[in-house]
Amino acid sequence: MQQRRRTTAADVALTRLGVVLLPVAALLAAAVVPLGFRSVSDLADGIVWFNAMEALAWAAVWLAGWGPNSTLALIGGYRFLAQGLAYELPHMLAITTAALGAESLRVGEVVDTQAGLWFAVWMPVAFAIYLLSAMAMAFWGPFDQPAGRDVAGGAAAELSGVDRIVFLGGRWLLLTVAAAFSVPLFLGGGNGPLLPPWLWTVLKTVAVLAFLVWIRRKVPTLRMDRYMEVAWVVLTPLAILQALVVALVVLVR
Amino acid sequence: MELRSKAARLAVAHPGVLLAACPGATRARLAVEEELLRRSWPVVAGPASANLLVVVGDPDPARADWAENLWNGIPEPKSRAVVREAEQATAALDDGHLALFGPDDQVSVSPREERRMNGVLPSGRAGSRRREGHAPDGPAHAVRDGAAHHDCAEHETESHHSGHSGDGQDEAHGTHGGGHGHDMHAMSVVAGLPMADRADDRDGLRLDRLHVPLGPALLDWPAGLVLRLALQGDVVQQAEVDQISVRASSRHPFWNDPWLRVIAGERVERGLAARRLCAAHLDSVGRFLAVSGWDDEAKRARSARRRVLAGASVEELGVLLRPWARQLRRSRTLRWLTRGLGELSSERAAAAGVTGPALVAGGDAYCRLLVWLDEIERAAAVCGDTRVLDATELSGPRGRLNGPVPPSQALLDVLPGLLEGAEFAGARIIVASLDPDLDELVPVVDSRVAHE
Repeated sequence: MQQRRRTTAADVALTRLGVVLLPVAALLAAAVVPLGFRSVSDLADGIVWFNAMEALAWAAVWLAGWGPNSTLALIGGYRFLAQGLAYELPHMLAITTAALGAESLRVGEVVDTQAGLWFAVWMPVAFAIYLLSAMAMAFWGPFDQPAGRDVAGGAAAELSGVDRIVFLGGRWLLLTVAAAFSVPLFLGGGNGPLLPPWLWTVLKTVAVLAFLVWIRRKVPTLRMDRYMEVAWVVLTPLAILQALVVALVVLVR
Repeated sequence: MELRSKAARLAVAHPGVLLAACPGATRARLAVEEELLRRSWPVVAGPASANLLVVVGDPDPARADWAENLWNGIPEPKSRAVVREAEQATAALDDGHLALFGPDDQVSVSPREERRMNGVLPSGRAGSRRREGHAPDGPAHAVRDGAAHHDCAEHETESHHSGHSGDGQDEAHGTHGGGHGHDMHAMSVVAGLPMADRADDRDGLRLDRLHVPLGPALLDWPAGLVLRLALQGDVVQQAEVDQISVRASSRHPFWNDPWLRVIAGERVERGLAARRLCAAHLDSVGRFLAVSGWDDEAKRARSARRRVLAGASVEELGVLLRPWARQLRRSRTLRWLTRGLGELSSERAAAAGVTGPALVAGGDAYCRLLVWLDEIERAAAVCGDTRVLDATELSGPRGRLNGPVPPSQALLDVLPGLLEGAEFAGARIIVASLDPDLDELVPVVDSRVAHE
């Protein structure tokens, strides 16, 4: 019920574009996430699609931060770009590892390969890195700096009324979709005993989300000036090692 | 219409509160915070998400345009309240809340209709409801979204010095711009606002530079502090300390009260002083943790602060504080994130006249946190001490109170030096790790001061 507001010399079009783009990116990414074994569209390169759509969020947050012509919002935008640089490299290696394990970029095939053993079990590093980047891409929990309270809401600092709801709702949607995508990638998708596949997907997604919500209470916000080093010096080599191990297993198998 | 109006009422049942605390009003701020917690009204980070502006304290009416700017930045529906004394908190919040459902029910006016009315506000509904009519009357038209900042263009063309920087009055939450004075070269003006100027950054690259006033209505920020920053991206290049002006107070600064009473020749129990010190540090640590993005632990600090001030027993405080402090000390993430920020050696601190925890710590933000935690636990253990505080122990939460200047003045003196080169988030942590108490700088109106 709160009204929209506008700041001086704001670029309203860009701001609105950024605001709307965030939930749209989340929905587009969700298109390749299967519920049970069926998704809206099981593209041949679904994993790449997901990654591309999730990267749209970079544009969304940057535009929403840039548009209002306000320093604190702009800082929020900057922070998300830095965060993107930090999380994206290990993240891409992690999802590539899952694709490597299934020898396919098709999400459906990744799920089928996990009928026996979940990828989370034999590629735990990739799974852990994915969970980190799920929070980072939705700038949430320990990665909430782009919308941090220390910059009065950062990229969302100047958004009010419907803009605010759409933007922050889009963020939740993105977090949920990111959590949901970890299920086909690492947790066996709809595979599971007794219950119907769709229910397994939902249960696993809820479990991942619950974990992400819980972790927020345990860790302070990670600043990118510190995290960047970890991401590039520790996580990226770890992700490469993990990919190497998986590649060897796939070759030998 | 019925449904919409109901939804509107529901939406403001728990209004977002923008808290603007002035120096000298710590007691009132604590009361307001407690009351907000009881009502579970969220304290919001900026004007955009606020419904209710609560000004705590007694700002100088002649120089309260920061409050007006804050008010103008809040979208409808909105109202405001002024809380000067702790005792008024409940009533002022009630009134402010009630004003949100004004009889003319503007809550249900749609943005479209609103825009058609083109900013002609019928005498500023909420403005006229302002509890004590304390702040100067703002231009009524400034409330509307589109028209919100028209006045700013006028200032700006007049002089770069008096203008708002960027839309500084929004993003910096409350100050009336004015950071442009440092650089005298001409700036180009777009839409009535000066463009960013350029300067070398820390790596020698020539980059845009913005002048941004920070404060006073930022979340988890020392009450009344204004920092005028020159920012490149999110890196602080230069900082200047300023503060909002308030009227002279008739009270001692709340956190220093026990020691100041000893100076005035009264008998004060040690336990009382320890309790005050403990609560003051918990207040500081709460801000530190919140700024570091650890809301859960910040909440625990605040609830402990409440218990300390409410007179909890030594045993209860031990049970409450020991596991909390242990967890903080053991958190590697917190250490990793706050190490190396705002390094202040003992020598430098001593040279600047710093006497409190910042001197004891003689290190970075994390060291200062550890000193606070130690002092909190030590003070909590002697809260029941009934012996009389003697006149040689005049060290308050921020330092010695019988020195030439108030301890917080020394903290403010070292602050700009520590901020230069820090990134924004780091700068916030540095400010929180010193946590100057501007109450100490409020002029006292009478030598026979009243006591808390």
